[in-house]
Amino acid sequence: MRTFTSGLVLFLAAGALAIAHHGLAAFDQTNKVTLKGTVTEFHFVNPHSVVEFEVKDDKGHVQEWQAEMTSPVHLKGWTATSLEPGNVVTVTGYRAKSGAFYLWVTNLSSSNGVELRALK
Amino acid sequence: MHLSCRSIRPSSLVQTAGSLLISAMPLLAQGQTEVGIPVTDSLVLAKCGACHAADEKGNLQRISWARATPEGWQEALKRMIREHDVSLTPPEARAIVKYLSGRHGLAPEESKPVMYYAERRVHDEAGLLNAPLLEACGKCHDAARALSWRRTADGWKQFAETHAGRYRFKPDQQAIAYLAKVAPFYSREWASWRARANAPEPTGRWLMTAHVQGRGKFHGEIDVEAAGGVDEFLTRMRLHSVNDGVVVVRTGRSVMYGGSAWRGRSQGISVANAAPDDLSTEAREAMWVAPDGSKVEGRWFWGQYDELGVDVTMQRASADPALLLVDPPSFKAGSNASRIRLIGDRFPAQVTPADVSVGPGMTVRRIISSTPDEIVAEVDVAADALAGKRNVSFRSSTLESAVAIYDRVDYVKVTPESSLATFGNQTHSRGFQQFEAIGYQRGADGRPHTADDLELGPVQVTWSMEVFYEIDPTKQDRVGTVSPTGFFTPAAANPGNNYDVWIIATAKTEKGKDGKPLVGKGYVVVTVPTYTFEGRTFVRELDRWIEEGSSAR
Repeated sequence: MRTFTSGLVLFLAAGALAIAHHGLAAFDQTNKVTLKGTVTEFHFVNPHSVVEFEVKDDKGHVQEWQAEMTSPVHLKGWTATSLEPGNVVTVTGYRAKSGAFYLWVTNLSSSNGVELRALK
Repeated sequence: MHLSCRSIRPSSLVQTAGSLLISAMPLLAQGQTEVGIPVTDSLVLAKCGACHAADEKGNLQRISWARATPEGWQEALKRMIREHDVSLTPPEARAIVKYLSGRHGLAPEESKPVMYYAERRVHDEAGLLNAPLLEACGKCHDAARALSWRRTADGWKQFAETHAGRYRFKPDQQAIAYLAKVAPFYSREWASWRARANAPEPTGRWLMTAHVQGRGKFHGEIDVEAAGGVDEFLTRMRLHSVNDGVVVVRTGRSVMYGGSAWRGRSQGISVANAAPDDLSTEAREAMWVAPDGSKVEGRWFWGQYDELGVDVTMQRASADPALLLVDPPSFKAGSNASRIRLIGDRFPAQVTPADVSVGPGMTVRRIISSTPDEIVAEVDVAADALAGKRNVSFRSSTLESAVAIYDRVDYVKVTPESSLATFGNQTHSRGFQQFEAIGYQRGADGRPHTADDLELGPVQVTWSMEVFYEIDPTKQDRVGTVSPTGFFTPAAANPGNNYDVWIIATAKTEKGKDGKPLVGKGYVVVTVPTYTFEGRTFVRELDRWIEEGSSAR
């Protein structure tokens, strides 16, 4: 199992796009949620990597979720193919306050062995 | 080269000599053990020599042991004007930059790796360069800014100490050692380049190809003529769009520094319209000239953040036919009677299928038409043709990897994959972003987004956008809009906040295995031009926010 640790850079600061550029105000940090789904796309880009995945709700309807992570430079050891369509992921994080299907990832594990364990 | 020199003051260099890093000590005693480049220009001697002490060989302290790109010398001169009250008229400043960039410049092989800095391209340096260097330099500017200089080991040490003192940080010894190793004052490339008696003469007719993000390929020609001053030129170019035949005519003026650094300005002969991406807009030109003078490549750019521009390649015109572009850039295996356009120069009156080679698996069935600058042919592609790039030739003129043969479009990539756009305010115009959708077939490894994937060219798409965390799509207008051509315009009102936005390209015809249209996404952060944090004001630069006033570093 490959485990990676990510520090969360919290605010806009001097530095390139590689630096995370926003805080977590858009996310409800009082509650963590955990979702299990299938990866449809992985964006290994600045300023935040994003994994898109599909989750089936209680009624079997598919929900399209996006889980946001830190920047590639802080995802030590990750590449653009660390997560691929078809991987089954379990994602834990803070959900967007707006109710949109967005998460800020704190932990992630994938069926291909990739794992992210964040500091926060 | 346009240098802002507003501080034309009567104060003499003598008044500020004490603040410059001067010393009456013999230069060798300071550790300058390498042979310097004597300064022979009377203006440089007059303006710089009062503070930069000269030795008996004509070397000026520090200056004779440093080399840099035109941008490097321009920045150094600005600092001298700003911090040390050096008094210069704009023509004097331009003349000094020109002399130093020529005699104390970089060899083409040295400047090419850092051209992205002069070309104002967003360039991710992470992973490409030494980590301590990135840590030391990257918080305020591209590491390429440092790598645009060449100094002795002592020179780098002295520079780092001065720089650290000025901006209050601790010099990183590993970064200094790295710079001394990869950016030495003396190099074989420089010795070889300097020894050549004559710089390539750029006057005459050149053939051009260009790529305009979102508008595709252009081709044309540029005439370069002497402008009167040494290494100064007038240009007139005519570009044709491959996609729609639109013609753009521009004129300009350029300077060739040291035979390898083309810098200039040009603008359309027709008045630019209000559209920020109008191709008649005045643009800066930063281009690299190949050592043999046969090729020039670089970027013309404009915009509040230099975010709009044209990627340009020039090659010398000759008496022989030259193939410049092929359109379309890809063909599907098994397609028959497809039209292919070969765009070039001096094609002969009589052309036969035997004159055109399109690689294995493709057959030229007939020539439909030909003119001196375009051949239209009909080609068949075998159903079992292997996917991959093909060279295309017209007689002896070959364009490598000019077309791709593919089986299917596996995914759509939106470029740039990540980018910035910026709201405007009283002091800053808006920063825009043009997107493009490119089709790809997976390579032999079967995985998307890997190095062996086959690029197929632009895909027809419908553009839309999605603001992160937003559940009401009617509120997207407060962030901005994306046009049917993929041009993102931030909202006119600055909301004082950052927004993360997906720019979404939905293919009009290509579908995935699930039967749904292929979709690609580009990530744009729509941000503010300035913000204040803990009493410090930050402003957006090319790809980062820097503390106000620090851009002069």
